[in-house]
Amino acid sequence: MNEWAVIQNYLVLGALLFAIGLVGFLVRRNMIVMFLSAELMLQGVSVSLIAWGRLHNDWGGQMLVLFMIAVAACEAGIALALILMLFKRSGQLDVAQWQQIREEGQAPFVDREIPEIREEPQVWPSLTTAGVEPEQDPEEHLHRSRV
Amino acid sequence: MIAWQSLLMSLLFWIVVCGTLGLTLLLGGRGGSGRHWLGGLLSAAALIMLGIHLPWMGGWVEQIVFWILAGLAALAAIGMVAARSPVYSALWFALVLLAVAGIFLLLGAQFLGIATVVVYAGAIVVTFLFVLMLAQPEGEAFYDRVSWGWFPIVSSSLTAMLIVAGVAYTLSDLPAPRSWQVVADQAPPEAESVRAPQHMATLGGQLFTRHLVSVEIAGTLLLVALVGAIAIVLHGRQEEQEQPPAVREGRFWNE
Repeated sequence: MNEWAVIQNYLVLGALLFAIGLVGFLVRRNMIVMFLSAELMLQGVSVSLIAWGRLHNDWGGQMLVLFMIAVAACEAGIALALILMLFKRSGQLDVAQWQQIREEGQAPFVDREIPEIREEPQVWPSLTTAGVEPEQDPEEHLHRSRV
Repeated sequence: MIAWQSLLMSLLFWIVVCGTLGLTLLLGGRGGSGRHWLGGLLSAAALIMLGIHLPWMGGWVEQIVFWILAGLAALAAIGMVAARSPVYSALWFALVLLAVAGIFLLLGAQFLGIATVVVYAGAIVVTFLFVLMLAQPEGEAFYDRVSWGWFPIVSSSLTAMLIVAGVAYTLSDLPAPRSWQVVADQAPPEAESVRAPQHMATLGGQLFTRHLVSVEIAGTLLLVALVGAIAIVLHGRQEEQEQPPAVREGRFWNE
């Protein structure tokens, strides 16, 4: 009986992770965050599987999670390749760019309010110039200074 | 008719209400930071109530370690879903993976705990970050802050909380599953049980005798996925040479 009480905790945790992944998948518009939410759903299911395997003293739970890790790796590789191809075509990671494949008879989703682009106040420290000015790298604009 | 008194007194009802409100406030996108603080507070309150609702594990140490790891996993998951920048989402996801690896260790699946950290957090999340490096615009993109409107946010948060509350309610209502008692009578020998002291040896034995076909299929699948991913990229590059892509910068989706 005690074992059942122990396993209940883990099963509810698995359901919680799955549910939060579900919310993330349905709400976010960035393709990569949608995929991360799908991976989160897989994590929730993994916790559930191992809990059941421990309850029934069956190795099948752990085996299935092992194969799920392998399949998730394959899926991540192919999904990221596809996302990169979609990004090359549309210039954005937004899923709303690809609305031409929606169901027939459904109105397209239109951004009602375009959020204002907040300019963060850039405060750079200023030092008094001293010494010899360093050589400017002519290709510096090709590097991305921050992500 | 619904017995309103008993509904309002039940902890699960308040978990659903607090969780839905908290998630909706966190995912809203608009509004100032006050929204985020309130949403985070309500979500934490829902998590604490859920922790109270769960049955006692029977030992202080196991229960407290579980609460710490599970709370960390849930909070990191909520952070991942609500984070503005996808790089932050990937980092929160790495934190979820570490917490879930701890949960696996607590459940006695030692190989899977380490495999999660090494394979998932060490390879898959790193691949995500590489792709983000190649594809993420500088600064915040507008589509990271807007969503599909208020209805998907509210309905999906409500559905998620109902799933959790439904699972918690059903599990607490059920007696211990009968198959567990049946299996206990015909339990596998001590050396082959899930709690065998030689975990790696027993896992390897099970993997390569009982699940051999699955191992071979998984290996083939990995090879096929590798070939497929390279083919997708090569095909894309070929198409790019034929027609130059139209890369539009910062275009909003409005007709």
